[in-house]
Amino acid sequence: MYDFQYLRPATVDEASRVLATQPDARPMSGGMSLLPATKQRLSHWSAIVDLGGVAGLDEIRMEHGALVIGARARHVSVLSSSVVRAAIPALAELAEGIGDPLVRNRGTIGGSVANADPAADYPAALLGLGATVVTNHREIAADDLFTGLFETALEAGEIITAVRFPVPKRAAYAKYRHPASRYAVVGAFVAETAEGVRVAVTGAASHVFRVPAFETALSKSLSQDALVGVTPAYGDLNADLFASSEYRAHVIGEMVRRAVQACLHPSTPSRNA
Amino acid sequence: MKHHDIMPAGQVGRSVPRLEGRQKVTGRAAYTHNLVLPGMLHAKVFRSTIPHGRILSIDTSAAAAVEGVHRVVTGEDLRAIVAEPYFGPAFHDQPALALDKVRHIGEPVAVVLAEDPYIAAEAARLIVATYEELDAVFDEVEAMTSSAIVHDVLKPAGTFPDLKHLVGKRDTNIALDYQLRRGDVDAAFASADHVYEHEFKSQQVMHTPLEPMVSLAAPDGDGLLIHTASQSPSFVRIEIARLLGWPENRVRVKVPYLGGGFGAKLYIKLEALVAILALMVKRPVKLSLTMEEQFFTITKHACTFRIKSAVSSEGRVTGRRCEVYWNGGAYADIGPRVTQKSGFTAPGPYDIENVSIDSYALYTNRPPAGALRGFGIPQLVWAYESHSDMIARDLGLDPVEFRRKNILREGRPHATGTLMHDAEIEGVLEKIAERMNWSAPFDRGEGHIKRGRGIAIAFKASISPTTSVAIVTIAADGCASLAISTVDMGQASDTAMAQILAEVLGLATEDIKVIHPDTDVTPYDMATLGSRSTFHMGHAVRLAGEHARRQLDELAVSLGYAPGAAYAPRDLFKKKYGMQAGNIVGVGSYIPDYTSPAPKTGLSDNITPFWMIGGTGVEIEIDTQTGAIKVLKLINAADLGLPLNPKIVETQLSGAALMQYGFTLFENMLFDEGQLTNGSLADYKIPGLNDIPPVIENHIVDARQTTGPFGAKGVGESATFGVSPAIANAIHDAVGVRLTELPLTPESIFNALRAAKSQAGKA
Repeated sequence: MYDFQYLRPATVDEASRVLATQPDARPMSGGMSLLPATKQRLSHWSAIVDLGGVAGLDEIRMEHGALVIGARARHVSVLSSSVVRAAIPALAELAEGIGDPLVRNRGTIGGSVANADPAADYPAALLGLGATVVTNHREIAADDLFTGLFETALEAGEIITAVRFPVPKRAAYAKYRHPASRYAVVGAFVAETAEGVRVAVTGAASHVFRVPAFETALSKSLSQDALVGVTPAYGDLNADLFASSEYRAHVIGEMVRRAVQACLHPSTPSRNA
Repeated sequence: MKHHDIMPAGQVGRSVPRLEGRQKVTGRAAYTHNLVLPGMLHAKVFRSTIPHGRILSIDTSAAAAVEGVHRVVTGEDLRAIVAEPYFGPAFHDQPALALDKVRHIGEPVAVVLAEDPYIAAEAARLIVATYEELDAVFDEVEAMTSSAIVHDVLKPAGTFPDLKHLVGKRDTNIALDYQLRRGDVDAAFASADHVYEHEFKSQQVMHTPLEPMVSLAAPDGDGLLIHTASQSPSFVRIEIARLLGWPENRVRVKVPYLGGGFGAKLYIKLEALVAILALMVKRPVKLSLTMEEQFFTITKHACTFRIKSAVSSEGRVTGRRCEVYWNGGAYADIGPRVTQKSGFTAPGPYDIENVSIDSYALYTNRPPAGALRGFGIPQLVWAYESHSDMIARDLGLDPVEFRRKNILREGRPHATGTLMHDAEIEGVLEKIAERMNWSAPFDRGEGHIKRGRGIAIAFKASISPTTSVAIVTIAADGCASLAISTVDMGQASDTAMAQILAEVLGLATEDIKVIHPDTDVTPYDMATLGSRSTFHMGHAVRLAGEHARRQLDELAVSLGYAPGAAYAPRDLFKKKYGMQAGNIVGVGSYIPDYTSPAPKTGLSDNITPFWMIGGTGVEIEIDTQTGAIKVLKLINAADLGLPLNPKIVETQLSGAALMQYGFTLFENMLFDEGQLTNGSLADYKIPGLNDIPPVIENHIVDARQTTGPFGAKGVGESATFGVSPAIANAIHDAVGVRLTELPLTPESIFNALRAAKSQAGKA
């Protein structure tokens, strides 16, 4: 690990000021990705601004019919929240499948979203549900948030304070895990919303993306049959040591099919493939 | 599970809990990793970034300037202590640090010594080396004819007679060409009803011991004390003494418990380097590898096996030709032994009149390969048991029935000419068939979930001839200590050896003190490898115990006891010396009979002291949508003679099977132009608790090794043999596709399914 400054501000404003003035400072919310990357010298920051000292950002509540999750809410809080279970059970199930117990006990939704790991689970839920990210400056639609590999529309000094999820009619997440890292090789989030069906895929490309061909087909009929013969054209899919891009393309279709199956039959286990 | 006989004294045959169990689970067991000596320096290795090249320069100045760095050392610097610092069990080909050339990415080139391990690591990053790159060769078959030559000249160690003809050979990557010829294989092919020929590949993998390799050397008077996580303390002493030109008694090697070995910690690894460094700086030097550095240190051979069989219309195999190419990587380590000792079992446990085997050890520019639980056998079985199933299916024969027709039975000659005895090949086959309920109807699944089952059987010879020596000391109160150089690396050898001694002396196993390897104290043992300890050291311990017992009996008679009368040993000492004083020392030394194979034909009437027989049966499920595979049931069966400790034997069986299970389904060292691309446990998958089959059965087949100590023989590897082909055979059974390359990943299954589908579409 390199030398760095460790700061633990008490307010969002204070954190924002440091981050806006120090271009090499990095916010940390849980640190489940940042700490290993720093230890392995994959990243080097002049300062780490730990948001763990900021109080009051971990609330989970319903507001005007939407589910609002504070940015500092840990995965364990989301998976065990009766509010989440009642509103969007698929989101609680997704949180239950993130990493391992240690990660779930420390990692936060805001940290995961801001980090925008190409294989992270939460981005699929945000994009699949059409969520809105609330920051200290503005509100950003999930459709506009994820811009590239570990890249988001967040600006310097901009800190996520909450994520607002509209409640779908039905939703489910299906994940194909990497055998070693347990990250998503492919994760597919399918949600039936007021505006139609949304399909978001993580793990398969540089960042989470929607699949319009599946959305159109499933908006006509949310059924496995609707998927037959639908072969979306994908952009650049990831190819790595575990799965070629051709195999990933196939697995996307299969995970979408499983998520649809789980939407229709919520008792079917869909989390692990 | 059969009830096993417990011997008269109640020790051998009893499931004694591991003697060291409490120490280990309470965190009190000593490991080399925990050892800190006053004034100790930490070493960190700087490694080659190219697969093959001449060293032009090594700039260590920036590293040496880091505060806390004691010294930076290159290969040339080592020559001040040892002029030719090359080591190895079969070839003296491996320099303690690279000299002149580097031969694989990750090869040690320089080393930083510092007060603190983190300072050493930081400084090692600052070393800069330049190279003139040379053509490299990575594939074992290409290495046969490649113009890229890994070693300019071959340097066999002279230890093994069958390597002598290689001395001074140039312009070749073949480190050993072993052959066996029996009968007339060409005639068998010419007259065969059917001829089958297939090629199988297995991948390079790593041992992944939980405790990475670690060695610590300290100057000790006019000698050297080496603390090391080694499976072969006696060999380390001999090899270090040879390098230094010292008598053996100036080198002392101590080995505590090991956190796993599996062949990774055999012969000599880090010891030569720390020994030379300690003498150079006159301080203790410790080198602890990281988990990742082990990928560059020792691995399991990748292998290509071409197998061709002549088969009669009734399904009898009448001839078999085996060509086996072993990818030994940049240094021979024990690879040439793998090539020969495993090579002669390449045709499998089958009764075949005409056999031809060519087995080649090859140098390549990959990390070195050596022994790994099974010593080459799993690579061979992967081929011959897949091949068996392919033949049976083609002939429309049941796979079990096909094997019944062909297995080697009691008294029949093996390919070498050695007659088979105490080898329950049939017992293992039938046990698996019985536990699989083979003749009953089988649920083949539905929808996109398909089910299948497969079996495989195999055998292994014991490495021979090798020696074990044991010393038993009886104290004046009658208690016993056992000094042996067998290393307990988790296999529970302390417990098994204590059981044997306790049985002979009529003591309780729990009361025996087993003294851990310390070459100043514990006598010679060839090494803890190849499932040899139970048989070889077991005999030595038995003999030592009997020697002590005889002396006690004689003492009793000399003190006036009637011959055969009962006595308490403590009374004898008291009577003889007038107080609690004195010792009785029993010594046992064991080497089995053996006939070296004839040079051209490979034939021998006594090729092994015992055979290890193992077999596997699996039931699996494939999701045809993704190629995902689940092993639902894993059945292991082995002939290990009579079990000394049934409970520990069962864990040996399940442990061995699960290790090979990882090599079958997950593990694979991936290379890009010699660069390892998945050298971390975040990418390189080893099996965890969530990955193992829900049902695992371990069966000890009813057998007795008539030449073994209390009827026993080794078992550490037997359950590795059959796992890979059993699973591939089950995949074929489930979905009709045949995989011939390991590992069997979901994507490879999926691709095979898709290829089969498109083939069917065309037809």
